[in-house]
Formats: sequence, structure tokens, C-alpha cells
Amino acid sequence: MVERGSSRAVVRLRSRSSVLLLVTSIVGLVGFSWPLFLHGSSSVAQAHSADAPWIFIAVLPLLLAVVLSALAEGSLDAKAIALLGILAACGAALRIPSPGVAGFEPVFFLLIPAGRVMGRGFGFVLGVLTLAVSALITGGMGPWLPFQMFGAGWLGFGAGCLPPTKGRAEVWLLAGYAAVACLLYGTLLNLYFWPFGAGTDTSFSFVPGAGMLHNLHSFVLFDLTTSLGFDIPRALTNAALVLLLGRPVLAALRRASRRAAFGAPVVLEPVGIPGAPPPAGPDAG
Amino acid sequence: MIRFEDVTFSYDGADRPTLDHVDLVVGEGELCVVVGPTGSGKTTLLRAVNGLVPHFTGGRLSGEVLVDGRSTREFPPRELADVVGMVGQNPAASFVTDVVEDELAYTMENLGLDPAVMRRRVEDALDLLGLHDLRYRPLGTLSGGQQQRVAIGAVLTASPRVLVLDEPTSALDPAAAEEVLASLTRLVHDLGLTVLLAEHRLERVLPFADSVVLVPGGGGRLNVGPAAEVMVDAPVAPPLVELGRLAGWDPLPLSVRDARRLVSPLRDRLVGAVPPRTVPVPDGPAVARLDRVTVRFGDVTALDGCDLEFRAGEVVAVMGRNGSGKSTLLGQLAGVRGPTSGRVQVAGQDPTGLSPRDLVARVGLVPQDAGLLLYGDSVAAECRGADHDTGLDAGTTAAVLERILPGLPADRHPRDLSEGQRLALALAVVLAPAPPLLLLDEPTRGLDYPAKARLVTLLGDLAAAGHAVVMATHDVELVARVATRGVVLAEGEVVADGPARDVVCQSPVFAPQVAKVLAPDPWLTVDEVRTALEVGAVRG
Repeated sequence: MVERGSSRAVVRLRSRSSVLLLVTSIVGLVGFSWPLFLHGSSSVAQAHSADAPWIFIAVLPLLLAVVLSALAEGSLDAKAIALLGILAACGAALRIPSPGVAGFEPVFFLLIPAGRVMGRGFGFVLGVLTLAVSALITGGMGPWLPFQMFGAGWLGFGAGCLPPTKGRAEVWLLAGYAAVACLLYGTLLNLYFWPFGAGTDTSFSFVPGAGMLHNLHSFVLFDLTTSLGFDIPRALTNAALVLLLGRPVLAALRRASRRAAFGAPVVLEPVGIPGAPPPAGPDAG
Repeated sequence: MIRFEDVTFSYDGADRPTLDHVDLVVGEGELCVVVGPTGSGKTTLLRAVNGLVPHFTGGRLSGEVLVDGRSTREFPPRELADVVGMVGQNPAASFVTDVVEDELAYTMENLGLDPAVMRRRVEDALDLLGLHDLRYRPLGTLSGGQQQRVAIGAVLTASPRVLVLDEPTSALDPAAAEEVLASLTRLVHDLGLTVLLAEHRLERVLPFADSVVLVPGGGGRLNVGPAAEVMVDAPVAPPLVELGRLAGWDPLPLSVRDARRLVSPLRDRLVGAVPPRTVPVPDGPAVARLDRVTVRFGDVTALDGCDLEFRAGEVVAVMGRNGSGKSTLLGQLAGVRGPTSGRVQVAGQDPTGLSPRDLVARVGLVPQDAGLLLYGDSVAAECRGADHDTGLDAGTTAAVLERILPGLPADRHPRDLSEGQRLALALAVVLAPAPPLLLLDEPTRGLDYPAKARLVTLLGDLAAAGHAVVMATHDVELVARVATRGVVLAEGEVVADGPARDVVCQSPVFAPQVAKVLAPDPWLTVDEVRTALEVGAVRG
């Protein structure tokens, strides 16, 4: 996978980690959307509709761990770790004053410019870490956490994939992305929550095996009635924050990226001291 | 201990190498001072010692840097951390924890040392650097000099054999700088540490230097050798060395004591020459005056019944120890706050009552931390902002800046500048509207000798153009070269006020190097001596 030349990727996605990220994301997506794809009145669907979520809850963190370790092995150096640590902590801190009242949850506001400046690999890792760290400090650990981590990871990844633009257009692009991505994020998380959240006997309940169309209809109703009142203000808040603070934040991140000289290659030209044995290197590590 | 073997290094995308075929050997227990103009590659040289160049910065390195036998090619910075300790310009930027003791232990925590060892080494560091009274203090409450000593202590606890310091006193006022340099020389003498030190304040360090590395900049070859030899033709030199060159002393004296022992022939040549008489205090119109001004902060009396008047064309140096009321005096003139009692007038008006725009046109203040004035995201933006805020023609500030410090990259972020460059930018911003009263708080912090010389010329020109300049400073060489009047404050009271030459020569504390060497004759600067000798030669 070739990174765009304009921005230097902080976390480089090599072919192996790209494939891993893709496979994991597909599994993750299935983890979100399985209720829509169970159809027919097969006994399998009936039997496993209760325990299926728990399988994903158990498997997703493991998959995330695999992806993170693959990325780390590839190209995470001390500088990238320091930057990840700081930004994840800032993101988590943004979550503290946001109990979610009227959708004021600015956690994605930092993630989007960071993914934009540092690249999609970094955006993914930062999204995952931010949610994990914020869960630790807000006490928000629970079965929803892996889904949130995935969602935020994709959101950061997407920010790194946006087309190159400059100046005001860039800020508007990011703000638009923030609004759309926040809505998608909310919808995805509803999807995970929906099978148990909506009970079993309402008009928008998940009916195992009732066919995709029926369930999709039910889900849209569920989404509209329960959480759009929350998701839309959140999308607007984040978009507004990007509009207001996007320029200085992008400038600060770009300066950090420039100062840390990410992607500046280290070239050691061979020394030719005739007759002298090469100095003994350290053991691996 | 440190060995550079034919090292060439260029940054990524640079068109010529910053270090070009450098060969350098620093022996065990040596104190080696790196001198050179700003931007000549001193920092790159220092960072190559612990492998930050090239492992952190990126770039192309050929040749080999060996530290205690380890090559930075094979060992990344983290594996050199137990051999090389590095301290930067701004101590606060390196702090991780909140309390002195914790900060000292943090390095060892990272190296995974045994708690018992950590405990012992923290105690050692506290004693070596005289920090034991401060051990439980929050870092934020320490003075600049204390902070820098903590930063050095935090590095020492890893018990490195090499200490690398990049202008450790640039961000400090002279008193704090002396405190840090005294601690350093003690470490060299007591522990036998190998120290590589880049420093502007050569007059303090040279007497202790075993060797000097001159980085000429512009890709020129390094000049390495004993201090007295290298300094003979160094482009940056303290007044003592310049005097030694002028008098043709060999070996070059590096301390006032050495010079005093060589001085009698020079004194004979100067017999009959009269130091320029005290510059008459200009009798221009009064620009600002203080009438019985007293300022109290709680129980502390910062200024106590001060009567002072500042006239156009004067350069007034306000001297005195830390806490004597210098900054408070400047704050009063700049209208930062009103006096507790008494009256302050600037251009006939109370400065606290002026609108910001009117105030900026009458008084310019460059604070000690020049960065406080800068909030643009590039040098160019800063200049444009200053033009706009004060209603000047576009490009005025940039032109002033070009005069103070030519060639400052316009796209650089103000925070990425060195202390000296930042000061130059802040000066340009303040000077652009040409306020009749200019206030400078410790204006030579972090400036190298060429930059200081440019500042002296600039201040002289401003005074000649009818501006009144008031500067609070510890830098006696600056006072000797540019001030027309000296005011000494102590405990908030004016204890001396008169022509700068008299004030400076009467006190050993404020006497510049040349005056110390040639005392009791009141010569202040090398230029004065040179002029006198030339006149004498013509006459003879």
C-alpha cells in the first residue's frame, strides 16, 4: 500500500498490517451488523441470537490487540508512541467534561485533525487508544467498549483517507466529515446495542430470523426514536468545533509532525576503516 | 571519551551538510566548550553525541561517533542513556513530574533501577547540586537557575560519564546563569565528568575550559584545541580575550587574574591617555517621571519612594540584585499596574489610564520572557500582525527585524526559534512603532556576541534619534558599552544614580572585565582602549 506523498505517515501501513487491518475490520463490521444478515427461520439463528453478541465482545478486543501489535512492530518508534500517548490522553480528557448531555461529546474533534495530519494508520490506532483510555478514566468499561474502539478507529482512519485540500476548504471538508462520521458512528453503535436494547416485543425490536428488510426497518425506527436526538447534536457539535478550532489545531499538529521529523529517513553510510573489525552491535533489541 | 571520526551529517532535504568531515576527540574528565555563532551547527554537533542525530532527527550520517567505545550507529539514544546525559536550554521543557525529588528519580525509573539505588542516587544528586533545601518543592515554584540545576541533577542520577549541555544558561538571567555554571565546574572538578558544553557566556566558562571547539558555521572546518590557542582568532570572544588580542598577550588570558598579571606593559602604553570623559547626561525633554513612587505586593515593598526622571536621548541601565525592584520599575513605566502611592507620568500622562493603542505608541516593553509577546504562527505573521495592530505601513516590523537579526527565516514558528532569535523578534515588534520610551527587561539573555553588538548599535541609534531607553540588566558589559546613566536599586530604593561610567567603576560587582583588568583607571570597553592606543601611536 502506497502512502500519499503529501503527508508523511507516522504509522506506516505495510502490506501485512494492511491486510490484517482489513480482515479485522470485516470481522468487526460483522460484529456490528450480524442481526441484519440472519435470515430464514433457521434454528441456528434462533438458538444463537442471545449469545452471538457475547462472542463478538470476546473476539473483538483480541483482534484489536493483533492489529495494534502488528502496527507497532512495523513502524512505531519512540516519537510516534509519545505523540499517540499525548493525543490519546488529550482525547480522553475531552471526554471527561462530556457526560453526553445534549450530545456534547467532543471526543472526535481531536481525532479527526490528528488522523488528517498524521495519516490513516495513526488515525486508526489513535481512535482505538483514545476510547480505551477514556473508558479507563471515566469508568466506561463494558461490553460496548470494543465496539466504540472499532468505531473510533475507523473514524480516525477515514480522516486520514480524505482527499488533499488546503486552507478553508480543508477545514470545511473536515467539518463535513466530522458530521457524517459522527452520525455513522452513532448508528453503528446503535446497531450493536439494538438486539438487546430494544426489548423483544416492541415494533422496532430485533426479530431473529425475520429477514433483512424487516429488521432494517425496525432498526431505522429504533435509531430514529432512541438516539438521533443525541447523535445529531453530537455531529453538529463536533463539526462546529472543527470549524472553530480546526485551523489552529491542524497547525499545531503539523508543527509537531514537522519538528519530530516523522518519515525523515535515517541513512547511515557505511564506514570503511581498513583493517578494523566492525564494532560489536548490541544484542537484538 | 567522545570521538568523532570523519563525521559528515546532513539533514533530510538540506542541500549541504551541517557537519562536514568533523574529527574531534574529547578526553576523559575534560571540560570542552563549543563556541560558534548562532545557527552554526553547535546543537547538531551536541546531539550527535547521544545519537539524537540522526536517530531522532533523520538525515544522512557518514563516519562514526564513538562515546565510551559505543558507536551511535549501532546504539540508539535509549541505549546511550546510561553514558550520556543531555540538558537543553529550557529546563521547564524537560520536566515530567511536579516535585524536585520525583524529577530526580524519574530518569532512573525509566532505566529500571533498584529502589535502593534510586534512593541513594537522589540523595547524591541533591548534595552535589545543593538542592537539598528544595527537595519537596514543586518545580513550578523554583527560580530559573534552580530549575536548571534540577534538570542537570535529573540527568546525573543515571550516573552518566558524559554530560552534554546545549546553552544551559541561555534562558536564565546572569545571576542564575552563574549559579548553574558554578555547579557545573564543581561537577567537573569533583566527579571528573566529561562535559561538552555549548555556551554564549564565555567570560564565565573559559577559565575552566580544558579545550574549545570552534564551530565557524557555513560548513567551515572545526577548530579544536586548548582555549587560549583557539580563542586567538575566534569570531566570538569575550571582552577579556579581545583586550588580550589588542595588547598582543601570549598566551591569551582567560581570567581577570591572568590578565592582571600581564597588564603592566599595556598600562605603560596607556599612560597619559585619558579615558573618554563621562558622557554628559543629555538634557533632552523629560519623557517619563516617577514622583515618590511606592509599590507594595502584600507585605513586600517592591519600590520605596522612588524619584526618577528619564529624558529623551538617555540610555539608562537599572541594575541591582534579583528582587531589588527592577522589573517593578519597568512595570510602573509601562502602566502594567498603578503605584500604591506616588505618581507615574509617561509623556505627561498616567500610563495606566491610556488605551492600549495609545500606550503602545508611547511605551514599548520587552519582557524577560520575550515569547510572551509572540502569538503568531510564523515570523512573517508576527511581523504582519504587529504592523496591523499599530497601524504601521506593511513591512515596517520586518524591516526593523532585518536590522536586528538579518536572515531570520520568515516561515519559522516563533516557538521554534532560539532564545536569542525570539528576543530579536520581540524587539522588532516593540520597536516598530518607535515609542519615545523603550523599556527592556534583561535584553541580552541568550544573545551571542555578534547579536549583542548589533543590539548595542541599535540602542545607540535609538538614543541618538531621541528615544529614551531604560533597561533592567545584570549584563555589565552591555552597560559599559551603551548606557549613559546608571541607576542601582536595592530593596526598592535608589542607592546610586549617575553617569554610567562612575556608577559601574565604583563597584566591583558592576565593573566590566576591562575595568577590572585596568583598575584603577576607569576604562570600560576594548574599543575605548583601542582608540586611545591608536591616538597614542599617531602622537608618538
